[in-house]
Amino acid sequence: MNTSTVQIILLIIHLLFFIYAFFAIGSYVILAIISAVETLEYMKKNSFVNYKEILSSTISPSISIIAPAYNESLNIIENVRSLLSSHYVNYDVVIVNDGSKDDSLEKLILAYDLVKVNFLINQQIPTKPIRAGVFKSTNPAFEKLTVVDKENGGKADALNMGLNISNNNYVACIDVDCLLLENALQKMIKPFLEVTEETVIATGGVIRIANSCIIKDGKLLDVNFPEKRIVQAQILEYLRAFLLGRMAWSRLNGLLVISGAFGLFNKKIAIEVGGYDTNTVGEDMEIIVRMRRHMEEQKLKYKVAYIPDPLCWTEAPDNYKIFISQRNRWTRGTIETLRKHRKIAFNSKYKSLGLLSYPYWLFFERLAPVIEVIGIIYFVILMALNEVRWDYTVAFMLLAYLFTVLFSIVAIFSEELTFHQYKKKGTGFKLIMISVLEPLVLHPFILYAAIRGNIDYYFNKKKKWGEMTRKGMAKAEK
Amino acid sequence: MESYQYLIDYLKNSPPIIQAVWILSCFFFIIIVILIIYLKYLRGHLRNNEKVVAKYQKEYESYLISYLYAGNEEEEISGEQQTIIEKLKISAADIFKRRIIVSTLLRLRNEISGEMAESIQKLYYQSGLIGYALSRLKSKKWYVVAKGIRELTHFHVKEVHDEIVILVNHPKKEIRKEVQLYLVTLFHFEGLKFLDVLQTHLSEWDQIQLLEVLQHFENQELPNINPWLKSTNDSVVTFALKLAKIYNQFEAKDAIMELLTHQQKIIRVDAIHVLSNLQVVEAKDILKNNFDKLSLEEQIAFFKLLENMYETSDEPFLLAHVTYENFEIKLSALKILKIFNIEKFKSLKEISSEPEFIRIFKFIAHNQL
Repeated sequence: MNTSTVQIILLIIHLLFFIYAFFAIGSYVILAIISAVETLEYMKKNSFVNYKEILSSTISPSISIIAPAYNESLNIIENVRSLLSSHYVNYDVVIVNDGSKDDSLEKLILAYDLVKVNFLINQQIPTKPIRAGVFKSTNPAFEKLTVVDKENGGKADALNMGLNISNNNYVACIDVDCLLLENALQKMIKPFLEVTEETVIATGGVIRIANSCIIKDGKLLDVNFPEKRIVQAQILEYLRAFLLGRMAWSRLNGLLVISGAFGLFNKKIAIEVGGYDTNTVGEDMEIIVRMRRHMEEQKLKYKVAYIPDPLCWTEAPDNYKIFISQRNRWTRGTIETLRKHRKIAFNSKYKSLGLLSYPYWLFFERLAPVIEVIGIIYFVILMALNEVRWDYTVAFMLLAYLFTVLFSIVAIFSEELTFHQYKKKGTGFKLIMISVLEPLVLHPFILYAAIRGNIDYYFNKKKKWGEMTRKGMAKAEK
Repeated sequence: MESYQYLIDYLKNSPPIIQAVWILSCFFFIIIVILIIYLKYLRGHLRNNEKVVAKYQKEYESYLISYLYAGNEEEEISGEQQTIIEKLKISAADIFKRRIIVSTLLRLRNEISGEMAESIQKLYYQSGLIGYALSRLKSKKWYVVAKGIRELTHFHVKEVHDEIVILVNHPKKEIRKEVQLYLVTLFHFEGLKFLDVLQTHLSEWDQIQLLEVLQHFENQELPNINPWLKSTNDSVVTFALKLAKIYNQFEAKDAIMELLTHQQKIIRVDAIHVLSNLQVVEAKDILKNNFDKLSLEEQIAFFKLLENMYETSDEPFLLAHVTYENFEIKLSALKILKIFNIEKFKSLKEISSEPEFIRIFKFIAHNQL
C-alpha cells in the first residue's frame, strides 16, 4: 500500500469515529430534551392523582409481588417485612426460595409462623421442582405471605415459579432485598388501569440507591448521600439513566428494559410468551424484548410504561470487585438478548422496536464499550508512531469531558426540580464534585467490566451470575 | 499577556474544526459554571421554601382556629372574624400564599365536622378564595382548570354544576376525571347521570375512584342502571356492570343477560361474573347450551358461575369436561363433582393418564374444598 492509500484509510477511520461520536452525543441530547418534556408532563398530570382512593379500594386489581431469594438469610426477615408493609389493599407476596443452601427457609418459618400447605400449581411455565413445599402463615397478620421452596434454577426460574403460583392478573417481580415504598404498587398499577387505547404489558420503576440511607422495620426513614465515591458515582449514573434516558424512551414507547429489581407485568402476556428465559443472565431485558416482539407479531397495540417516582431502593455495590461483576453480567445479558432477538434489528415489521430501540441499544449500549476500546488502541498505536495531533486530541477530549459533566449536571437538575431526594445541605456540592470526578472514578471500571463481559460471553460460556455480597440495608449506618 | 496572545494566535491559526471545538468547550464551560451557581441557589431556595411554607401554614392555622372560636350568637360575623377575613383576603391575592391557605383550610376541614366544618366552608366564600377557584375554570391551561375543579369539589361548591357539567366530554382526560369526581362527590348517585352523555372512555382507574367515592354514601338509591347497560360506550357498560355487582342490582338481570352476546369479549366475561354474583339461574342454561361457542375466558368464567349454581343435572356436562384441556376448567369440573357426587368423583381416578389431570385429581381428593 502506498502512502496515499494509508492516508485514505486513516481518514475513513477518523470519519467513522467522528460520525459515531456525533450520533452518540446527538442521541443523548435528543433523549434529554424528550425526557424534559415527558417529566414536565408527568409532574403536571401526577399532581391530580389521588392515590388514596385506589389504596383503600377493595375493587382495585390484585397484584402478586414475586421475590426470588437465594442465600439471603442475612436480611430475609427484614426484607419480607418490608414487602408486607405496602399500603395497597389487594396484594400478596410470593417469596421463592430458589434452593438456598443457607437457613433462609428456617428463618422464614420461625419468623412468620409458616406451615406447609397443599398447593395446586398451574404449571404454565416449566420450572425446577418444588423442594420442601409451599408454606403459608398461621398468623393472620401475615396472611398475604406465601413462601415456595424449590430446587435451585436461577433467578429466572424462580420468577417463573412465582408466575405459576400467582392467582392475580398483575405480578410485580422484584429483588427480595429491594425496599419498596408503601405507595409503590398503586403508582405502578396506574398505567395498566389508565391507558385505554393500548394494552400496557409492563411498567418499570426507578431504582434508587439505598446505601447510607436509614431504614427501620422495612421503611425508609432518611435519605443520605453516601461517602464512598463508587456509590456516589452510581447514584449519578442512575439519575442519568432513569431521569434522562428511560423517561425519554418511555415517551417514545421504546423501552427495551425494565430493571429486574422492580417491574410490574401483565401476567397473562408474560405467560403467553413463556415467562422468563432461564438461559440468559439478562432475563429482565430479555422478557421485555420478547413481550414487545410478541405484541408486534400479533399486531396488537401496546405500551411499556415507566414511573419515574423514587419507589424502589436497593443496595448498590460498594467495591469495585462486585461492581465489575455486576456490570459484566449486565453486558452479557445485553449481548444475549440482542443476539437472541436479532431478527428485530432494522426490521420495519417491528416498527419503532426494530428501527429505533433495537439499533440504539446495539450501537450505543452494546457496541459503545467495544468502539471505545478500539479508539483507545488506535490512539495508542498513533502515539507509538508519533502520529498524534495533540491539538486535536486536547480539544476533543476536553469537549467530550465537558459534555459528560454538563450532561450529569442536567440530570442533577432534573432530580432537584422533580423529586428532590437529596435535601441535606452540602449534598449539592458532593453531587457536583462527583459529576466532575465520575468520568475518572467510575467510567474506566464500567468500560473494563463491559470488555470483560464481552470476553466472558464469547470465551467463557460457563460464567453465570457472579458474586453480590450484601451488607444489608437494614444495618446501614448514617 | 504574552500567553494570552499566544492562545489567540494559536486559535486563529488552527483549522476551523479545532476553533469550533474550543468555542463549544468554552460554551459548555460557561454553561456548567452558570448551572453550578444556579444549582446552589435552587437547592437553597427549595430548602428555604419548605421553611416558609411551614411558617405560613402555622400562621394561617392560628388564624383559622381564632376564626372558628371568635364567633358569637349576636352577629353573623364578629369583628375579630372580620379582621381575620380581611387578612386572609390580602394574603390570598398572592398565589403562593393562596395555595397554602387553601391547603390549610382543607386539612382543617377534613379534621373537624359539624358546625365548625360549615364555618370553614363559609370562610372559603368570605375570604374570596372561591372567586379564584372559579376564575381558574376559564383558564386555557388544562391543569389550571383541573385544579380549579378539584378545589371546588373539596369545598363542596355545588353552585357551579352547570359550568362544570359541560366539560364532561373535555378532550383532556384529567379534566374529565375531575368533572366526574365533582359530580359524584357532590351529587352522589344523581351525579352519575353524566354517564348518559359520556362519549369518551371511562378508564378502569376512573371507575375505581368513582366507586370508592360512591361507597361513602349509604342509604342512597341507585338510579336505574339499565340505560347504562345498553350504552354504546363500552366503558359505561363495564362500569354499570360493576355497579350491578356491588349494589346487587338483580332487577337489571335482563339487561345483563343481553350482554352475554355483546360484541366485546371483556363485557361478556364481566356479565357472566355479575350474573354469577347475582345467582341468575337462567344464565346457566343459556351459557351451558352455547359452551362450545364461548371464548376460553368466557368458558372459565362460566365454570366459576357453575361453582356457585351447580345442580345434580349438571353432572353429564361436568363429566364431559373433567379432562378438558384447560387447567382451570378441569379443576372446577372436578371440584364441583366431588362436592355433589363423591363416588362418581372417585371413579374418575383412572379416566386419564395425563399428568396435569392426575395432579389436579390428587389435590382435590386429598383436600377439603
